Amino acid sequence: MTCSEFEETGLDAERDASLGEAQRAAAVAHAASCPRCAALRDSWEATQMELRLLARATGTLDAPARVAMRLRQQFRTQYRTPRVRRTAVIAAWGLAAAAVLVGAVSWVKWRNAQQNPHNVAFKSGAPASSQGLPDQNPNPDPSLVADNELGNFTLLPGVLPAETDGSAILSVRMQRGTLGTLGLPVNEDRASEWIQVDLLVGNDGLPQAVRLPE
Amino acid sequence: MRIADQERDDVLLRRAGKGDEEAFTLLYRRHQAALYRFALRMSGNAWAAEEIVQDVFMTLMRDPKKYDPARGTLGGFLYGVTRNRVLKHLERTPQREVSLEEKNENGAGSGIVLLDSTTPAIQAEMRERVEQVWAAVLDLPAEFREAVVLCELEERSYEEAAEMIGCPIGTIRSRLHRGRALLMARLEILRDVPRPATLRPHASAAK
Repeated sequence: MTCSEFEETGLDAERDASLGEAQRAAAVAHAASCPRCAALRDSWEATQMELRLLARATGTLDAPARVAMRLRQQFRTQYRTPRVRRTAVIAAWGLAAAAVLVGAVSWVKWRNAQQNPHNVAFKSGAPASSQGLPDQNPNPDPSLVADNELGNFTLLPGVLPAETDGSAILSVRMQRGTLGTLGLPVNEDRASEWIQVDLLVGNDGLPQAVRLPE
Repeated sequence: MRIADQERDDVLLRRAGKGDEEAFTLLYRRHQAALYRFALRMSGNAWAAEEIVQDVFMTLMRDPKKYDPARGTLGGFLYGVTRNRVLKHLERTPQREVSLEEKNENGAGSGIVLLDSTTPAIQAEMRERVEQVWAAVLDLPAEFREAVVLCELEERSYEEAAEMIGCPIGTIRSRLHRGRALLMARLEILRDVPRPATLRPHASAAK
């Protein structure tokens, strides 16, 4: 082995797996016979020791904890934000669908009410005029009946027939004397008598005509 | 599925890609130290090493499909990405812009841990020597430095180093040869200052 070969391969012959046993032995033999290469080998061994010291000194270092923290934050931003956003989008679409459904059902009901006004009937609570009074009515549920017919109704003073369009019929029990507040003549002797009255109530909520069922 | 399968890098990476934070944390813990040390030893700059490691894992997080298990281990892939980042950093800062002391302005010390120093005086002396050696390593050209870091500091075999760098073994040997020559020349000059006894080679080795 020559000095230049020793420099290139002989210095670290023990670690170089690509070298054969013969080459390693030649390197050892050359260092034993060549003072210059022996000195070079010593220098390299000293350098290796210092490198090992550096390796040991830096061998236990880890990346600072803040790197892990930043990565964790970024990970959450990347994977959790879209998930929350997706949930919000789904919820928004759900709400929108529910709103459309409610709207559609309301519209269909309204359309049915427009097309079959006679069939629409709905329950309501007891009318104010009957609260706290003895139950003389065999039908305990006074009902509000939609009816556009004006048959048998007597228009209240000041109401024109045209204003009764779209009015509803409200069946109530009241004392006969109350009819006086509507501008109708009342028999004073029978003013305290309870009677069943149908009121034609306009869109403004005011009575427009009255009917006294027989 | 066996536990060993669950903890394989590619399995963990797949889980992390689906948003499993624990899997990503496991991968980070498994690989961060080696990557950080390599970046630190190559750059000599703790801040740069920190940024590089963070950048590498950000890349993995954003696009885990960049790693193809058929082409090698995840560790090798991460090392490759780290190496590219380090080389880019070294290109941007060809000269060491900060000293080993200046880089530790965050109060974390020089990053050097001397475990078996007996007295403060010896500890200080050894620290100084280690810093000199590190400075000498950092003065090497990047390709020689990489070979020295991998083969001497990380004690990898020539084959491993060649595989990691992606070059023939002969190239590694050549780079090591030239890196060693430069390093020895530099350290021989520094050795004119009396060295602590702990750093002197054994008498038998010196003969």
